[in-house]
Amino acid sequence: MLASATPSVPRVSFWRTFWSNAVMAPRTTLGFMRIDFVLGTIFIIPLTQMVFFAFVVQVGGGGASEIAFTALGNAVATVTYSSVFSVCQTTDSEKQQGTMEHLLVTPANRFALYFGRGILPILISFATVTVGIFYAVTLFGVQVAPGSLPALAGAIALTAFAMVGFGLLLGGVALYLRTSIILANIFLFIGLLLSGVNFPTSQLPPVLQWIGYGFPLTWGLDAIRAAAAGDPLGTVALYYVAVLAAGAISFGAAIGLWEYFEHRAFATGSIARY
Amino acid sequence: MTTVEVPRISRSRATSASLRLSFLMFMADPQWLIPSMIAPVVFGLVAFELFRGSGPYYLTYAILGAGMMSMWGQTLYGSGWAIGQDREFGTLEPTVQSPTPYVYVVLGRVLWNVISGLIGGGIVYLVVLAAAGSPPAVPDPVGFVVLFVFVMLTLASVGILFSAAWVYTRYSGFIQNVGEFAFYVGTGCMFPVVLLPFWTNPIALIFPPTWALDALRYLAIPGYVGFGWGFWPDIAGAVATTAIYVAIASTVFKRVELHVLSKGDLSDY
Repeated sequence: MLASATPSVPRVSFWRTFWSNAVMAPRTTLGFMRIDFVLGTIFIIPLTQMVFFAFVVQVGGGGASEIAFTALGNAVATVTYSSVFSVCQTTDSEKQQGTMEHLLVTPANRFALYFGRGILPILISFATVTVGIFYAVTLFGVQVAPGSLPALAGAIALTAFAMVGFGLLLGGVALYLRTSIILANIFLFIGLLLSGVNFPTSQLPPVLQWIGYGFPLTWGLDAIRAAAAGDPLGTVALYYVAVLAAGAISFGAAIGLWEYFEHRAFATGSIARY
Repeated sequence: MTTVEVPRISRSRATSASLRLSFLMFMADPQWLIPSMIAPVVFGLVAFELFRGSGPYYLTYAILGAGMMSMWGQTLYGSGWAIGQDREFGTLEPTVQSPTPYVYVVLGRVLWNVISGLIGGGIVYLVVLAAAGSPPAVPDPVGFVVLFVFVMLTLASVGILFSAAWVYTRYSGFIQNVGEFAFYVGTGCMFPVVLLPFWTNPIALIFPPTWALDALRYLAIPGYVGFGWGFWPDIAGAVATTAIYVAIASTVFKRVELHVLSKGDLSDY
């Protein structure tokens, strides 16, 4: 006679999922981020990108204030490489390594899983923007108000968080595509145009301004500019809320996309079509 | 005793087949739209906004710069990808040891990079034109087109040399991604190299496009202040550096072929 015992499924803790993904991601889905690539992203890309656009502004007749504006904008915009680019590519990694199917059948909490994977990119993003702002201050005459460092650090951290959320969202969209790299690149470059990186968004037509404010980078950049300028805490706090909301919406939408993808995969029994 | 007939090797046929294959792979993999078209269009629009109202030739500056970035991006990414793809597919060694010299296969790929870069430049022109509402002022349109093609050929020589170098390293991806803006700065894509600190100028002059682009700006932008020696020495410098690049690349490819024939593989790179 067979016993009708129900197999006990071990309870997987949220924090265990979160931490194991944070620790393992650099060796698995983020394995393409070698140390030389990470160091190049943090120390070289911000400098060369800022130099490039600073000279473009100079040729265009811009003065010291315009150059400082562009330098700070690009210092922050380089966050896209480590947040959007890297995180977005984790989807491709899963597909290439053949681990997508295994991931879909795990009982792990999805938020813990994706947020855990985002920890390293958040740290690299924070470092990239910090180094970029250091270059902006020391080489391009960007002024940071005395006593504004804590507010600035908070704005950078929130921007890094929101941008990684945005990267996850694009990674979610990339589930339905063959490759994520086009998507990541499009948003990398659109950010340079619509997020107030090189010139104020007010110079854009209204429609493009609205589109620009659909990206977390635009809000993050506003928060960082406000914090660096030493704006009152109330003003900076409002930007904090906006950046946080942009990040939360991105994370939520990313998880929604993943869940929908899982349902589709279970319904069709295949993920091979993507 | 029978003699095995060795088929005649046509280098031009190898190059055209490589060009055709590059075109087909471009069409099959849309990621190539990024360096050749999407990025330059955005850079062109950003430059247009930043240059706006800074003189009658600002539009030429923006279009020329973004078009140049289109070709640079395609050369930089395309040449590295060509070798990396051979490694990934396992076709690097068979291709290198085939009777056709490898350089003619690479030449076909580089030619496609030049063509797609040219298409990208055309798209940049149209988009910036639509944003500006009027065509750029170019004093000598025919000379401009001729010299523009010449700039592309100088870039092609860089592509061939880079392709040769990438055979010996697996860091092409790193150099492309991390060094992209450094190349744009160093060769003066969007601004004259003379604006950079003087110590950087000799480094910039190592690259043929630096000379050619300076000459193109002398031709297209009246009152342009570039290298003090002027238009014709720029042309001479571009021709000389291009010839040196092609010579070095040919030597490197011959060395690679000898290496493969003697060792039987390239796996140590």
